[in-house]
Amino acid sequence: MAFNFNWSPLTADADFYKRAQEMLTTALNKSPKPPIIVDDILVNELNLGSVPPELEILEIGDLAEDRFRGIFKMCYSGDAFLTLKTRVQANPLNTYLFSKPSFTSPQPLAASSGLTIPLQITLSEIKLSAFIILVFSRQKGLTLVFRNDPLESLKVSSTFDSIPFVRDYLQKEIEMQLRTLMMDELPAIIHRLSLRLWCPEHRASEDEVMAQATKSEKEEVAVDPFASPPQDAVDARGNVLDASEISSLSLDGGSEIHSLFSQKNLLRLAALTDSHRTLSLFTPSIRDAVFRAWAGPSERGDSAGTSTPVTPSLVRSHSSVASSSTTYTFSRGSDDGHGHIPSRPSLVSMHSATTGLSLGAGRHSRSHLRKKKNRVVNLRKSKTTDDVVSESGESEASGTPASEPAIPTQIPEEPEDNIITPPRSPSGKVRFRTCSIDLGESPRKLRLSTPGRSALSSRTVPEEVTLEPALTLEPLEPTAPIFHREKRSAYNTTSQYPAEKLTAPITLQPAPILSDPASAGGIIEQAWVLKMAGEMTRRAHDEKSAREGFWSSQSTDEREDSPPPAYEPKAM
Amino acid sequence: MLEFMDYVQHAFYNASHWNSENSYSQLTATARGLLDFETPRGLRLNLSSLSSPNFATSYAIGSVGLVDGALSYLYTSLPLRTTSQSGDIDLHDVIRGYRQIQEFRRHDEPWMWEQWQGGKRIDKRDTLLYGRLYLPQSTLEALYLRRIGPTQQLKLSAVSDSRLRNGGTILALHQYDVGKYSTETLYSTDGGLIGARGLYNFGPDPRKERKELPRMEDRFYGRFSAGAEMYYGSLNKSGGVSFGGRFATLPAHKGTPLTATLTLNPLMGNISTTYAVKAGKNLALCSKFDFNVYSYESDLVLGCELWRVKAKTEKKRERSMAAKLEWRLDNTEEKSRPEPEEVAGVLKARVDQNWKIGLLWEGRVKELLFTLGSSIDMKRRDQPFRALGLELQYSS
Repeated sequence: MAFNFNWSPLTADADFYKRAQEMLTTALNKSPKPPIIVDDILVNELNLGSVPPELEILEIGDLAEDRFRGIFKMCYSGDAFLTLKTRVQANPLNTYLFSKPSFTSPQPLAASSGLTIPLQITLSEIKLSAFIILVFSRQKGLTLVFRNDPLESLKVSSTFDSIPFVRDYLQKEIEMQLRTLMMDELPAIIHRLSLRLWCPEHRASEDEVMAQATKSEKEEVAVDPFASPPQDAVDARGNVLDASEISSLSLDGGSEIHSLFSQKNLLRLAALTDSHRTLSLFTPSIRDAVFRAWAGPSERGDSAGTSTPVTPSLVRSHSSVASSSTTYTFSRGSDDGHGHIPSRPSLVSMHSATTGLSLGAGRHSRSHLRKKKNRVVNLRKSKTTDDVVSESGESEASGTPASEPAIPTQIPEEPEDNIITPPRSPSGKVRFRTCSIDLGESPRKLRLSTPGRSALSSRTVPEEVTLEPALTLEPLEPTAPIFHREKRSAYNTTSQYPAEKLTAPITLQPAPILSDPASAGGIIEQAWVLKMAGEMTRRAHDEKSAREGFWSSQSTDEREDSPPPAYEPKAM
Repeated sequence: MLEFMDYVQHAFYNASHWNSENSYSQLTATARGLLDFETPRGLRLNLSSLSSPNFATSYAIGSVGLVDGALSYLYTSLPLRTTSQSGDIDLHDVIRGYRQIQEFRRHDEPWMWEQWQGGKRIDKRDTLLYGRLYLPQSTLEALYLRRIGPTQQLKLSAVSDSRLRNGGTILALHQYDVGKYSTETLYSTDGGLIGARGLYNFGPDPRKERKELPRMEDRFYGRFSAGAEMYYGSLNKSGGVSFGGRFATLPAHKGTPLTATLTLNPLMGNISTTYAVKAGKNLALCSKFDFNVYSYESDLVLGCELWRVKAKTEKKRERSMAAKLEWRLDNTEEKSRPEPEEVAGVLKARVDQNWKIGLLWEGRVKELLFTLGSSIDMKRRDQPFRALGLELQYSS
């Protein structure tokens, strides 16, 4: 295996330098400038030089024709240089008086008269040494994040080199500025450049935006959670994000989604769901769509998806950020929940289609299964890019082939915790199982998913079931959105619930046991499982009816009573 | 227009025989008054009172964006007997325009300040205390002014504001003025700034008895002054220097009063010249030209000041009854007595080479002093009016 990094093509493109200069200029002038700088900072010259950086591959997370994710160690000591032009106030007394109250000003007569000097600063001999997380996908562009402060040293030469005091001052200031630029602005710039290069849709939209020439960036960020997640991942100041998290953002989107649905529609749908949860009066007009308000609290979790007839695609759009196949799980889950059999076959077929694709697809399906419990999470999260990050990060951690083994170990741990913590875990467990079965989800799901699942490893299923708690819990929990913020935190909370009076979460845990045999894929086992499931359903029903718990009663009632989602006919 | 508290402060200078104009920092006062006037923004109301000869209060409320205000109090140990009613104040005292420098007055001798009673000195140094609180910002300004002696004055000004570094700054200024020359030394806690200013007046020394009368036959009868200033920030290791000179005609000058100044900043290569003439009784013109020998940047500002005097209604000349009875005319001396001019208002205008125009109309309506101003930018055709403001003052 060989990698071919081309350094010179970048320099060959004349347009590239122009664009990069423009972006750097705007980035440099964004923050308020100190009083010593009296003019805009212009990037006069930019040259990446001929010496490429030395890259040491530490890890490659994902590799395909159209995507790449890896961690590098980069050392650079090349001949790149950057020339900035601005005008500075050379009189220290003038800048001294600038922000002082006039009442105590010494009021010099002419000693503070200004002298503005055009200043040219050349940054050269830049030495960098950093760990870089590089994520590339043809759809999402290139994302580059520094894990540490990359700047080792640089030489600042300016008009004032002969004055040591000024030179030292400039050196210090510029190093500081450059550090923030590298950590915060550069990744964004690179991402935008790459989007222009590879993503024609984005380019079109950008051109449009540029034509408008007003508040382009804000709009883009606000409306476009899909096109820009990697960019936002960067803004977390480099502390939170893992390579996997970022990569999941850009890679999981999968080309099939984008080929199926136009990005514009996805955006529109996202805006629509947003409008349900905000006070925004703006609802994008979608043709042939019927708007429906939420029917009840239990549906709230789903409502983000189900509120409109268009939901299938909507759901899809949301999940697209995290994993491609989540959608199907979601719609099927709700269908099953309401016992609409006709919708099943189609779902199955879709599911199998995705799983059959490749290893990556298999991963998707698995993660999507897991996600099913989090479908609420998904829908909510996809709005704010932050959430997307955490969400997808979770799925990605499991998703990468390299880290795959880690997942099963990781996830079983949590159930164990849960089992240990609750004082009355046994009963809880049973109830749980029943709970999930009561919804009719797991058995059917198992049945449904088996064809497609043959390609999957058996591990995936336990995983999916383990995560079940989140699914059942969240619709019940009114404050669910809080937990959805981060999946992991949600898990923790579920594990703590037993100690508190909420028993519902506990009950969900044993599901793995139930589904484990199913995952093996044997027909007999399936039959057994179904039987067991039926039994459990019955038992659970009894238990539930016996229990006076608010949650259970409400949830069951609502599940039974709640009207079918409006989109279901279309889903068929 | 001077704020009431500044007006009272100047009254304090006058009452304590302090010549505040004999200072290097006031070298270009004429040009500043004619060219660097501030145009008000928004609406502003000042309500002031010199409630007793020793105590003055002032309240201000303004609306620039949001409503803000200021409370100020002033105490002086020296009773001030100046007109404080806004209806009676002479506009020449509150409007800074062309400043006619005056002949020096002999300073009091130290013994003139001494007061003895029962074999003990009981005289106190005149002191002025002043404080102002800006309300929404909660910024506090404080001033302590003390006449140490007939030729010396100490001025401590402080600002307390949480937004400032270290929570505030203090400026200490010591002034020494003997007429022939004056020096000032200052220290600011902000950056540890140390400064010194000096002004030397060529010509006769006011401390000595004048022997010969001034030669009035000269074309120009005036005074030449030269001075310098120096600053050094001990914390940020930066400094500044400037030199300056001024020629101004004295009141006894027969021709057109004029003032010309030249200031140099050798470090920054800045040369600034101003030239102001009082072209008529009610008109003053001023120009300022700045040039930087290092950056070749230049700046030109022109300004004028036009005083509008209320037309005097000519009194009908009627013979008095006594004169009629005696079959004679009235005494001519009574008629020729000049009446004080009533100033209706002052128009100030300035324009610089970037076509930025500043306009100011100051005057009096009934008992109110008003300042109406606007700054106009002719380069921006779509929105030439950059600021418009009205300031009203009432004092009693």
